[in-house]
Amino acid sequence: MYEMDGEEIFVIDGHVHLWDARQENIIHEGGEQFLQCFYDYHTGFTPEEEQWDIDTYRHYGADRMTEDLFGNATADMAIFQPTYLDDFYDEGFNTTEQNAELAEEYPERFVLNGSFDPRDGEEGLRYLEHLKEEYDIPGVKLYTAEWRDDSKGWRLDSDDAFEFLEKCADLGIENINAHKGPTIRPLNRDAFDVKDIDDAASSFPELNFIVNHVGLPRLDDFCWIAAQEPNVYGGLAVASAMTTNRPRKFGEIMGELLYWLGEDRVLFGSDYALWNPDWLVDQVMNAELTDEQRDEYGVELDVETMKKVMGENAAELYDIDIEAKKRQFRDDDITERFDLGTHYGGDAGAAAD
Amino acid sequence: MSGSSADPTSGRGGDASDDLAGDPVDPADDERGRSAVRDRLDRVEDPELARSIVELDYVDAIDIDGDRVEVRFTLPTAWCSPAFAWMMATDARDEVEGLDWVDEARIELCDHMHGEEITTGVNARDTFGETFPDADGGVAEVRAAIADKARVSTQRDAIRALLDAGVDPQQVVSLDRADVAVAGDEAHVDLGGLSVVVDAEPVADYLDRVETSGHVTAGDDTLFLTPEGDSIPAERLDVVQKRSRLASVNMGGQGAVCDALHRARHGPDGPDGSGVSYLGESGEYDGDVDEFTSTWTLDADD
Repeated sequence: MYEMDGEEIFVIDGHVHLWDARQENIIHEGGEQFLQCFYDYHTGFTPEEEQWDIDTYRHYGADRMTEDLFGNATADMAIFQPTYLDDFYDEGFNTTEQNAELAEEYPERFVLNGSFDPRDGEEGLRYLEHLKEEYDIPGVKLYTAEWRDDSKGWRLDSDDAFEFLEKCADLGIENINAHKGPTIRPLNRDAFDVKDIDDAASSFPELNFIVNHVGLPRLDDFCWIAAQEPNVYGGLAVASAMTTNRPRKFGEIMGELLYWLGEDRVLFGSDYALWNPDWLVDQVMNAELTDEQRDEYGVELDVETMKKVMGENAAELYDIDIEAKKRQFRDDDITERFDLGTHYGGDAGAAAD
Repeated sequence: MSGSSADPTSGRGGDASDDLAGDPVDPADDERGRSAVRDRLDRVEDPELARSIVELDYVDAIDIDGDRVEVRFTLPTAWCSPAFAWMMATDARDEVEGLDWVDEARIELCDHMHGEEITTGVNARDTFGETFPDADGGVAEVRAAIADKARVSTQRDAIRALLDAGVDPQQVVSLDRADVAVAGDEAHVDLGGLSVVVDAEPVADYLDRVETSGHVTAGDDTLFLTPEGDSIPAERLDVVQKRSRLASVNMGGQGAVCDALHRARHGPDGPDGSGVSYLGESGEYDGDVDEFTSTWTLDADD
C-alpha cells in the first residue's frame, strides 16, 4: 500500500490494459498508427528515466505487467478496460479474453471488465451474455468512436445502445466505462462528444457511467453533465499523467472536477501501459494545488480526498471491501511473489507489536 | 529565384540573406517574403485551442518561388481530427493568398493519417465533402461549435473586468451590445447615462468571439449569455462565470496534451530539427522541463 504521512492509502488503479501490438498482430495501418500515437502519449508524459523502448511497448506481457503494477506495492488492485480494435489487430488489441489470462491468474487483485458494440446487434447481445457467464464481468468499457465498416462510430443515447444498456442492467453489469477522449480515426464527426452520456445516465439511473479521460478535450461539457447526473463519474487516465510536466494543468483539472463532481466521483487510473503506476501513483499523491487554485476552487488534495480518488471510490463502484482485501493480501500469491507482507500487516509486519 | 526553405520562425537573428539588402522592393524575396507569409499564418488558429499555428510551432517550412508559396505543416499527432486539419489547411491557404504578391499558395499537411487526401483536396480547391465523401456533416458546423467554445471561454474575463469596475451583476446581465464601445485602450460601458471605463482588451477579445460565433450582431442583442446562448438571470451569473472558467481550463488542458504530443513526436527542437521554435522568442530551451512547459503553455490563465 502507498504510504503518505503515516497514512496507508489503498490504491485501485482504475484503468489498465494488457495489449498486443506486435507487428504480426497488426492487420491495418491504423493499428500501427494507433500504437505510435499511444507511444507519443507515453513519451510525452513520462519522465525520461522511466520511458520504455518501442518494442517493449508493443508487447510487455503478463509477467512484466504484474511486476509493474504490484512489484513495489504502489497499486493494490487494478481494473482491466478492454479495447478490441478488431479491424486493426488480428487477435484484437486488448480484449476481455486477453486480459482474462492475467485476471484469472490473480483474481483477487484484478477486476475484469468486458465490452460491447451495439452495431453487433443480436450477436453482440449474446456475446455480452457470454462475457457475464464466463467472467462475471461487473462492467464494460466502450469505445464509441470506433469505426466499423461504413460506420464511423456510435452514440450511447441511440436506440441500439439503449438495448445493450438494458441488457447490462438485466445482467447486473453496472459500471459503464466510456472512452471519451483521444480517439481512433475521427472524421468530421465530433468523436469527443460527451453529450450522449447525459441521456444514457438519466435513462439508466441504476447504472454508473465512468467517463474516461474526464472527457478531455470536452472537460467543460463533461463536468456540466456530471454536475447534474449523480451516476456520472470521472476517470483520471491521461489527466493524471499531466503531473509529469504540467502540474499546474493537473491542479486546474482537479480543481474543476472536485468543484463540479465532488470528491466521491473521481477515480484514479494510470492507463497502463500508457503510463506506469509504479511511478505515477507517487507523482499524483504528491501533486499540490497552487495557493491561487486553492482560493479559486475552495478545495484541497488532502489525504482524505486522495484516499477516495485513489481507491475508495472505485471500491464503492465495484463492491470491493478494502479491509477484507487488506487481510487477504497478507499472504496472497502476489504478496508471496514480491514479498509484500509488511505492506499489509502480514506475518513479518504488525504481528506481535 | 529558386525555391528556398527555412524555418518560418527564424529570421530574428539578423542573418537575413545579403541579396535582400539591395532589393527592398520585392517582397517575395527570402526573409521579407517569409516574414509576410508567417504573419499571415499567425492569424490561422488551431480551432481546438484557439491559438495560432505559428505560436504552436506547427509550421515546418515556407517555400517561396516567385508568386508561388508552399507551406508545410505538421500537427501534434497523425490522429488529429481531419476536420480540424482541413480547417487549418484551408485557412492557411486563404490567408497566404491574401498577400497581393502571391498568386498561388500550396499547402502540404505532413505526417497525418489523412495527409494525402487533405493536401490534394485543399490544393485542388475541393470541398471537405468532396475529399471525404463518406464524412457526415460539414466543416461549417464544426467551426460553429468551436467558435461557441471560444465565446464562452472569453466571456469570463470581460465580465470580471466589469464587476471589478463596480458594475453590479444585475447591470452586467442587462447590457446590450450597443451599451459597450471600445476606443483605443479603453472600453466604455454605458449604464443608462453613467459611463464606466474598463481595460479594452478582455472586452474586445470577447466582442471579437461573440460576433464570430454569431450570437451578438445587432445593437440591441443581449451582450452576455449562458453557454446555451440565453440571457443570464442575475442570480445565475456566478455559475455562468464558473462554466466559462471551465471552458478555459478545458482548452488549456487540451493544449497541454497537444503540446506534449507535438514534443514527443518531434523533440524539443521542433519538426524540422532546427532548434528554432516558438521558444526562440522568450529564450532558448535549456533542457529544464519546468521552464520549458511554463513558457510553452503560456495562455491567458497562466
